[in-house]
Amino acid sequence: MSVLFIALPAALLLGGSALVACIYCIRQGQYDDLESPPIRILIDDEDIVQNPSEPAKS
Amino acid sequence: MSLAPPPTVPNGKSVERQLDSQSNVAQQTMETPSIGGVTSKPCIHCGLPTMVAADSDPAEPVFCCSGCHGAYGLIQGWGLDEYYALRDQLTVTGAALAASDQKNYQQFDTPEFLGESSPKTTADGLECVELGVHGIHCAACTWLIERALLHQVGMQAARVKLSDHTLKLIYDPKQTKLSGIARFLDRLGYQLLPLDRSRENHLRQENRRMLIQIAIAGFFAANAMWIAVALYAGQFSGLAAEHKYLFELVGMGLGSAAVFGPGRTFLRGAIASIKTRTPHMDLPIGLALFVGAVIGTWNAIRGAGDVYFDGLSSLVFLLLIGRWIQFRQQHQAAQSVELMMRVTPRHANLIAEDGTETSVMVDRLNQGDHIRVGAGECVPADGVIIEGISRLNRSLLTGESLPVAVNPGDCIEAGTVNVGSPLVLKVSATGKNSRIGQIMQSVEAAATEKTPIVQLADRIGGIFVVVVVFLAFLTFAIWLPQSLQQATSFATAMLIVACPCALAMATPLAIAVGIGRAAKAQILVRDGSALQHLSKPGMLWIDKTGTLTEGSQHAQLVWGTPHALMLAAAVESQCQHPIAQAIVKASEIHSSYMAAIKESYRPSAVDVSVVPGGVIGIVDGCVVQVGNAALLATKGIRIPDSALELASTLARNGSTPIYVAVNQEAVALLGLSDPIRPQAAALVQSAKQLGWTVGMLSGDLSEIATRVGSEVGIARDMCRGGVSPEDKLATVKQSRDQFPTVVMIGDGANDAAALAASDVGIAVRGGAEVSLHAAPVYLANSQLTNIARLLKGSVTTTRVIYFNFAVSLAYNLVAVGLAITGNISPLLAAIIMPLSSVTVLGLTFAIPSFSSRSTEKVA
Repeated sequence: MSVLFIALPAALLLGGSALVACIYCIRQGQYDDLESPPIRILIDDEDIVQNPSEPAKS
Repeated sequence: MSLAPPPTVPNGKSVERQLDSQSNVAQQTMETPSIGGVTSKPCIHCGLPTMVAADSDPAEPVFCCSGCHGAYGLIQGWGLDEYYALRDQLTVTGAALAASDQKNYQQFDTPEFLGESSPKTTADGLECVELGVHGIHCAACTWLIERALLHQVGMQAARVKLSDHTLKLIYDPKQTKLSGIARFLDRLGYQLLPLDRSRENHLRQENRRMLIQIAIAGFFAANAMWIAVALYAGQFSGLAAEHKYLFELVGMGLGSAAVFGPGRTFLRGAIASIKTRTPHMDLPIGLALFVGAVIGTWNAIRGAGDVYFDGLSSLVFLLLIGRWIQFRQQHQAAQSVELMMRVTPRHANLIAEDGTETSVMVDRLNQGDHIRVGAGECVPADGVIIEGISRLNRSLLTGESLPVAVNPGDCIEAGTVNVGSPLVLKVSATGKNSRIGQIMQSVEAAATEKTPIVQLADRIGGIFVVVVVFLAFLTFAIWLPQSLQQATSFATAMLIVACPCALAMATPLAIAVGIGRAAKAQILVRDGSALQHLSKPGMLWIDKTGTLTEGSQHAQLVWGTPHALMLAAAVESQCQHPIAQAIVKASEIHSSYMAAIKESYRPSAVDVSVVPGGVIGIVDGCVVQVGNAALLATKGIRIPDSALELASTLARNGSTPIYVAVNQEAVALLGLSDPIRPQAAALVQSAKQLGWTVGMLSGDLSEIATRVGSEVGIARDMCRGGVSPEDKLATVKQSRDQFPTVVMIGDGANDAAALAASDVGIAVRGGAEVSLHAAPVYLANSQLTNIARLLKGSVTTTRVIYFNFAVSLAYNLVAVGLAITGNISPLLAAIIMPLSSVTVLGLTFAIPSFSSRSTEKVA
């Protein structure tokens, strides 16, 4: 059971890195607008890029 | 999808024919005294005045051409009926804006105009810019703007933020220009505006700060929780002492980090509450958190006794979520107001001392600067006119729809629209100091202010502290004879479980959610206590003119030729009276018909003078008199009997008869009336169903008041006609003695006193300024059905508040009971406490208030 002495800090570290990622996202403003994204998901993407000057976007 | 049936008024040719026959009818009414003839209604799609038979069904939509009919059919067929309501609520400001920004697209390429929202160049040579968009209504607009813009050459990305109506663009400056984008969007019906970010930035920073706190608290809570689960499991299946010690120490670290990290807002609140000696909900919460953390740390270090860190950290997490939701909902109301206020321009034409003009940001203006406001432009700053005579549309501030004349020396405010000729202003105040800026601030201050019931909850919080401390001592005293350690343990448990976290959230959360939902329905509630008042049915006074009725006069030619109407309009066009405007408007419809049959005929009048009862002027050498029967009598003009008969029919129907006399001979009769709004009867009915006593107060004649009252379903004895604003105030005050709640629904401008005197004033019309000052509730789209929605929503919100109160108190009572009897274990505490908060959170959102007609469905 002494594995706990390694597993526990490791788990906290993993959780902590997720927290850092989350804070980074918040600071980037990804949570500023909570109204448009749920609606935007309902809008279909266009099949082909119709604008020739616009190279295919990911 | 199927198109509607063929148009009723198919094309120009038959319109003429139809009108011809109708005007014949109008002329023939000399012999047959029935109210026939033509009247005008706006085309339902484009708003153009259109001729229809006066006896046609008023509910029937009118079209000016088959194109509009087709478009209407398409929109209806797609189920987008909401479009018209949304469009109408914004037409005034939208039109003003479009006028003021016309041909100014080039400005979008200058950094002076854009100010803070100038494009930033990214690493790969693209430009990134964030601008405000005016005219966004719903998700469909988001779709249209983003889709349409991506077809523009050089556009890399376009993103609309629905919450604050902004658009983020990434484009290639070599291929496209911002001015081109602005022009393109204007064609779609959306206007781009530079943003004033300072205030918004503040809110955004605050929002992010709260989210980060929640994230941190969530991390601590989740980890403290799984450690606690291991500990609890260990109690049953055995746990090595060293492991238990490790768990307790790590739990302690996480728990105290949660309490003294994200949880310090509560500790700080508690300290402030002690310092200022004002009872506050933060006090018992802070007490519980602090005591729990200290005792838990002590127990963890000495390796004996209970630790409460899991419960404490999840409490902090849930309470922070509650606070964040309140924050968001409160700012939704303020934001709706701001979106309306965004119409004030961000740039001004500064006149330098040498007379040259430059376009500068409003923020750069100083007091005493001279600026030019062109015709049709929106005034960018408060100031005094030093040059020019013009007329101003001040509807944004006062709600007065008629433009007012202004002269040099007059003070004018930012946000008004100059509809006349160019003006030169000496700036006296800009931005926050301008009147419109101050309104914004007062609305926001009110939104964050505490409502009485929240204050009540805070007071309960104060009592709670006393009770909880007393109970803790009691528990200590009860268990002291057994053992000191047990007594301490139970007393601590007592302090922690009695933490009124759910109670602290219950009321403010319910009110915030209610206000936020109302704001989405265009009902701006300034004050949360209004919701409480509105939930108790009492007396509902409604103003007639402009509230139950449209509020504007509509003239209708009842007898006589359109020619007479044109003569009358020529005289009246020089007056500013509402009746004059109605006559001019009626003549415009006729003149478009006249223009179709022969070349444009537009008589103009000279020597116009206003006399008691009417107006006299000379048109084409003929003396034209327009006025009531008394005016004609004093001039010795005989009115034909048939016309008199028609006039009495008009009066019975609630219209005011106006005669036109040419060269001492009565030639035409006009009926003036103020149509009742279609939703008025529905409002009265639903208010009655909710238990309200409905009454009407009107400055109009009693007869007219009673007639309107009977049409919308208000009892005869509750219709008070001929009431002056002072009488309205007195009536409202008087009924406060008889009814628990008195609500006044009226016009922000004329009924301000009565609105302010009532328990809850609801302003349905008029500018945002006066309305929000006088009344705690303002209907931004003046839809009467929204009042019924508000009444129902308040009942639900209040029910949610009481329910939340009951639930959280029940939790606390059970927990306190268990703690006193020594039956509480840390496990039980950890379950009960978050559960109560979660219940309150869930209930508040699950119970629907202000149920919407789901506009989102359209998307």
